Amino acid sequence: MSSMIYKKKSPLLVFLVPAFLFLFVYLYYPFFQNILNTVLKIGGLGRAAEGLNEPWYENYVRLFQDPNMRTALKNTLILTVCTVVFQVGIALILALLVDTIRVGAQFFRTVYFFPIVISATALGLMFNLIFLYKGGMVNQLLLSMGQLPYEVKPSGKVIVQWLDWKDQAHFLFTMLLPVMWQYVGFYFVILVTGINNISQDIFEAAALDGASGLKRTRYITLPLLRNVLCTCLVLAITGALKVFDLPWVMFGAGMPENMGWLTGTYMYDQTFNKMNVDYGSTIAVLIVVLGVVLSNIANRVFKPSEDI
Amino acid sequence: MKKIFSLLLALAMTVSLCPAAFAEGVTLNVVTSYGGDDGNRANFEAAVKAYEESTGNKVNDGSATSNEEWKAKVLTDFETGSEPDVLFFFTNADAEPFVSAGKVVSIDEIRNEYPDYATNMKSSMMAVAADGVQYSVPSSGYWENMFVNKAVLADCGVEVPGPDYTWDQFLADCETIKEAGYTPIACSLFEVPHYWFEFLVMNNGTVENQLDVPASVDDEAGQKWVAALNDFKALYEAGYFPANTLTASDAETVELFNAGEAAFLIDGSWKVGYFTSNAENLDDFAIAYVPGKGERSASEAIGGISMGYFITRKAWDDETKREAAVEFVSQLTSDEVLSTFVTTEVTALVNGASPAGLNSLQQSAADANASITAISGAVQDTITGEAKADLFGNIQNVVTGKMTPEDAVASAITLN
Repeated sequence: MSSMIYKKKSPLLVFLVPAFLFLFVYLYYPFFQNILNTVLKIGGLGRAAEGLNEPWYENYVRLFQDPNMRTALKNTLILTVCTVVFQVGIALILALLVDTIRVGAQFFRTVYFFPIVISATALGLMFNLIFLYKGGMVNQLLLSMGQLPYEVKPSGKVIVQWLDWKDQAHFLFTMLLPVMWQYVGFYFVILVTGINNISQDIFEAAALDGASGLKRTRYITLPLLRNVLCTCLVLAITGALKVFDLPWVMFGAGMPENMGWLTGTYMYDQTFNKMNVDYGSTIAVLIVVLGVVLSNIANRVFKPSEDI
Repeated sequence: MKKIFSLLLALAMTVSLCPAAFAEGVTLNVVTSYGGDDGNRANFEAAVKAYEESTGNKVNDGSATSNEEWKAKVLTDFETGSEPDVLFFFTNADAEPFVSAGKVVSIDEIRNEYPDYATNMKSSMMAVAADGVQYSVPSSGYWENMFVNKAVLADCGVEVPGPDYTWDQFLADCETIKEAGYTPIACSLFEVPHYWFEFLVMNNGTVENQLDVPASVDDEAGQKWVAALNDFKALYEAGYFPANTLTASDAETVELFNAGEAAFLIDGSWKVGYFTSNAENLDDFAIAYVPGKGERSASEAIGGISMGYFITRKAWDDETKREAAVEFVSQLTSDEVLSTFVTTEVTALVNGASPAGLNSLQQSAADANASITAISGAVQDTITGEAKADLFGNIQNVVTGKMTPEDAVASAITLN
């Protein structure tokens, strides 16, 4: 009976076709329509196209000439690198540390994972308060530690030179920190699960052979965790290209002085605020191309080992 | 047992899928700008509650704070077919996309079925669209003028500006205020440079030609806009805006003013309610005059009636919602309800509004308005959203020298 199920493939279609149709209507059709939109002149969401751009590849030329787009690409690549180094890096260190403790591991799992379940908008508002110019948490701490210069006027009024965490010198740190912080827990949970899947027999054998904790990590945990790490890195790289909500809540349209654009925020601004739908579509195509190229590179560089 | 449980589940699903069949009234989707910290938010909520209680209908309130992003979202909703049933929105060029697309119903068409609709309004003061037809019922009007923190001015030895306040006096006062350790002007150049833009344009022209839109950088209006941007740059370079004006939000700079750290703030009549609710001592604040320059006197200001209630075609064509929408607009624009919204603003009511006792800031606004000699609408309301977003977004580039005023104006002209 069971062999009949495997031989008769038609029931599979009943399950596959609806999912395929759903994906086709809501993913592939919009995707190809979006590519078409890049060569059309569209003055607003939902508005009919007013013909082809002149020349039709106008938006692609603009993509390479637009200084804001260059800024967005630069910032997004920095974000991607930081994501790999800090999000996955810190998550790995935390996972290794939590794996070594016997009591409270579950507590730390919950604590580190918690930021994931909070909405990005709420986190953005919270970090806005933390980095607020006048009276923000960080600036108050710096003031109480005597790290902010101040001047006392003849009238007795005290003028504090607050640190602007969103200015040109600090915006990148202020933008990246919350994004890093939010997703460390996500990779932490994946890596902890990966470590737990490593057979205890291997660790016990290593202990009998006299391997220290560090050596066990270096020669057993990390090599056996390679495939999980590869997955995390690919997820981190592709995820970094799509970051939008947290930076948008905190920085809006390119703050400061058009230096804070990311590909995601710039695409949104062009499409929804500037009503430049065709150019926004072109940026979306670039994001997809970047995602495919970078994830392919990541897949090749961090190729999972078949020996594990 | 399983059968009963299955039946109950099926019944629950059916009920949840067909709420309208069991509801007493209809549910209206309403979008207005009475959201966020709007001074009339509480009055709007009270009016909606009264409407719900008197009709049994429900209101899905999608109100938000009015800004360029909100306007873009409303227009997008129309274009994607998800517009509300009733919309309180700008009646100028901002409304043209959905008016010209036939997505809102004209007053005349509504009156064919409801003859008393909006008859309490002066027809001459109701906005006329580009096609010569009236579509919206006006609510209260607005004025834009200079709020001053009297406590800060007193501490700096600066007098509250009068209707003859000049630009040179203003610059001298700003220097004094800055020397005393205060911020002269509370303004976020990143988020809301448009109040200052209007007055700086008028300072480089006249109240009569305020609404002239440049066709090129070199024409009279273009040169006026360029001069206005140069004034912005001069104020920025003199250090009269907050130190973080390029990264601060509007809320931050208004709070700077409210907390007694800044002296001047240009804002609108809607901000009176904010200070009434949030000021520690309301008597510290007053409405004065924006300094005049050239041919403009400080007693000439920006104002008018720029918003109104639209009933969308979608709601009108829905038999279950038509009457509910008409009743909603009628109640929200009745003499009684509008009298709770109006303190010092102009209205289109035939009988005029009867606001209750004014507080000190409202009285100050009424006194300032009494000295206003001429008024003009805002020129930004006559240009497209794309041009506006581009122009105001480039002000930060102009003040920091990354872009010339001429290039900023030229860029806006190409998008208009």
